[in-house]
Amino acid sequence: MIKADNLKKRYGKTVALDGVSFEVQKGETFGLLGPNGAGKTTTIRLLCGLLKPDSGTVTLDGKTNPTLVEVRLSLGMVPQTLAIYEELSAEQNLYFFGRIYGLSGQRLKESVSNCLEIAGLTQRSKERVSKYSGGMKRRLNMVCSLLHEPPLLLLDEPTVGVDPQSRNSIFDTIEAMKKQGRTILYTTHYMEEAERICDRVAILDYGKILDMDSVSNLIDKHGGFSHMEAEFEKSPSDLDKIRQLIGSSNIQFEETKVKFETPRPMESLALLNRNGIHLKSLKIQSANLEDVFLNLTGRRLRD
Amino acid sequence: MKKVLFLAIKDLKVLLSNKGNIFWVFGFPALFALLFGAIYSDAGKEPSGIKIAIVDEDKSEFSNSYISKLESEEALKISRAGRDEAIEQVRKGQIAAAVVLKKGFGDGFEAMFNSDEPKLEIAADPSRKMEGGYLQGLLAKAQFEALGDKFSDRKGLRSQIDLWRNDVKDSNDLDSKQATLYSNFFDSFDTLVKDVNDKNFNKGFKGNMLNFTKLDVSKEYNGPITPFQITFPQALLWGILGCTATFAISIVKERTHGTFERLRVGPIGLAHILGGKGLACFITCCLIICALYICAKTIFKMPLGSLLLFVLAILCTLLCFVGLMMFICTLGRTEQSVGGAGWALIMIMAMFGGGMVPLAFMPSWLLPFSHVSPVKWGILALEGAIWRNFSLTEMMTPCLILLAIGTAAFLLGVFSLRRQEQ
Ligand SMILES: Nc1ncnc2c1ncn2[C@@H]1O[C@H](COP(=O)(O)OP(=O)(O)OP(=O)(O)O)[C@@H](O)[C@H]1O
Ligand SMILES: [Mg+2]
Repeated sequence: MIKADNLKKRYGKTVALDGVSFEVQKGETFGLLGPNGAGKTTTIRLLCGLLKPDSGTVTLDGKTNPTLVEVRLSLGMVPQTLAIYEELSAEQNLYFFGRIYGLSGQRLKESVSNCLEIAGLTQRSKERVSKYSGGMKRRLNMVCSLLHEPPLLLLDEPTVGVDPQSRNSIFDTIEAMKKQGRTILYTTHYMEEAERICDRVAILDYGKILDMDSVSNLIDKHGGFSHMEAEFEKSPSDLDKIRQLIGSSNIQFEETKVKFETPRPMESLALLNRNGIHLKSLKIQSANLEDVFLNLTGRRLRD
Repeated sequence: MKKVLFLAIKDLKVLLSNKGNIFWVFGFPALFALLFGAIYSDAGKEPSGIKIAIVDEDKSEFSNSYISKLESEEALKISRAGRDEAIEQVRKGQIAAAVVLKKGFGDGFEAMFNSDEPKLEIAADPSRKMEGGYLQGLLAKAQFEALGDKFSDRKGLRSQIDLWRNDVKDSNDLDSKQATLYSNFFDSFDTLVKDVNDKNFNKGFKGNMLNFTKLDVSKEYNGPITPFQITFPQALLWGILGCTATFAISIVKERTHGTFERLRVGPIGLAHILGGKGLACFITCCLIICALYICAKTIFKMPLGSLLLFVLAILCTLLCFVGLMMFICTLGRTEQSVGGAGWALIMIMAMFGGGMVPLAFMPSWLLPFSHVSPVKWGILALEGAIWRNFSLTEMMTPCLILLAIGTAAFLLGVFSLRRQEQ
């Protein structure tokens, strides 16, 4: 459905994209995860033809020119900036964009009320957008791209700066879209979001894709060990024995507590138990995309 | 095409939702027209109450009659003074001019027109050129009237003829043949004045003399009929300029707010988007013009030369400024920079084009600069239709220039917009 082949783009001296290639299958939800300035927005702009790549090609639904009207009609793009008219009401915004997409009559009416419903704005549809909260604006910004029911969705950080409630509503919408079998490209710098909704994720940094795979495969490959924190019933007498049992070099003791990393947390626990070392409490933190990013780049996603 | 209309309607809704916009687009030009209409309301009328001082050094019967003619003139406020005192008053700006009637002012006809040694001197305040020019007209008028009075009396006229006859006799540079011709003419002229009946005398001498003077003075003032006719084209231009700036800024606003991007991703081209903006600008301008026109017609009773040419002038001016809007919106990347640069450009165009001060009052060295300002051509075209009584061919010059400027600005704007997109 979406194919990016060796995309390169520079703004003056800044290299925004340095050879980005990926492919998104029909019905797949693909995440672009990267910190600020990684090149996520640039990728989306290239995909929908707002920018021309310096080199490389974009293929959408088998067509290499994203500016064709038929491609545009099958494409829904949610911009990172709030691309709605603050002076108009939610309803006026939706009617306007619907008409631009060629909707009219009953279809337009239904589409608009459906979108208002999705965004949870039916009650306040006649109010000016400038009076809305940030989350409401975000929700409207998203549904403005769904009016024409595009099979292909490009979402550029649709959740920046929103409260948890609006974020959940946005996720519900995206998950509903997913169920309908739409192809979704989702960019974010929140790893929890990528973990929650993306079938596959590409890690983007400084205009390059470091790796891409399903979330669990990425964690397996780059996530490293799970972090364990255990508290013993009584202070262990033989620390060396425990060290031996766990087999981890990175192990720290603190009175009755022990912290260590292990690739197989359950097996380590069973081993301790069999040797008569009983635990009072246990915390396991398995590796996540944050660790993947840290291990791939040596930096955290958000500083 | 329908989508262009949707875009334009959306822009109008956005425009009308903002009270500030409404003021700048509708209120400001109306205020401008009223304010400047009041300021320049004197320009079309004859000035009144010009203070002048008369220095009568002649003290003859004629100079007396001359001064009383001036005193009966409503436009003037006459005081009498000595020469030094009068000139001092002019220097201090207390009066507009001092008029000195030198000795010999009333000594017959030639004294007045003898350019070698003028018997009438005017010391006018250099900063009051307008009034000075008008004053000269009034002085000439009074002179002719006083002269008319003198000649309306047969005795006066005949004594003048006597003087001329003597002049011819005494003259050395006339050969005898010529001298005979002149004296024969004066002889029969004298006979005519002596024997013509009263009715014909009054008709032939008094009436004609005065008619002639009236024509002479009024010729300088056959400009606009009402002051609002001068300011009306300016007010229209300000409305159009305000609209141009507002919509140029609204294009940039769409770009910074991402709605432009959203539209660009939609199934429409750049031409649609710009067409929509242009159409919205055009419609708004038309609304402003209609509002101002209705105002002008009903409140100020402004006469309109030709409605057809007026519509033509409006059309060309609007197309020009819609083109300029496209150019102005590329002058910066933020609303502030486009607003600043755009208004600066508009102010300069308005200043040089006679949008602030009518070109008639502009110093001559500035006039060549006005040719590059579309405001000038817009005003000229509108004036041509409103009171200059332009023919269709005369209208062509400003109209074609406007269309040329508009097209050039439009192409330049679209070109740099496309460049900025990449
Ligand atoms: N119009 C532009 N002109 C110049 N440089 C730009 C422009 N747009 C983006 N850049 C640069 O290109 C790089 C990638 O920017 P991009 O907007 O694609 O990042 P992003 O991943 O979307 O970041 P964010 O999470 O902050 O939205 C950045 O270094 C940015 O400074
Ligand atoms: Mg971005």
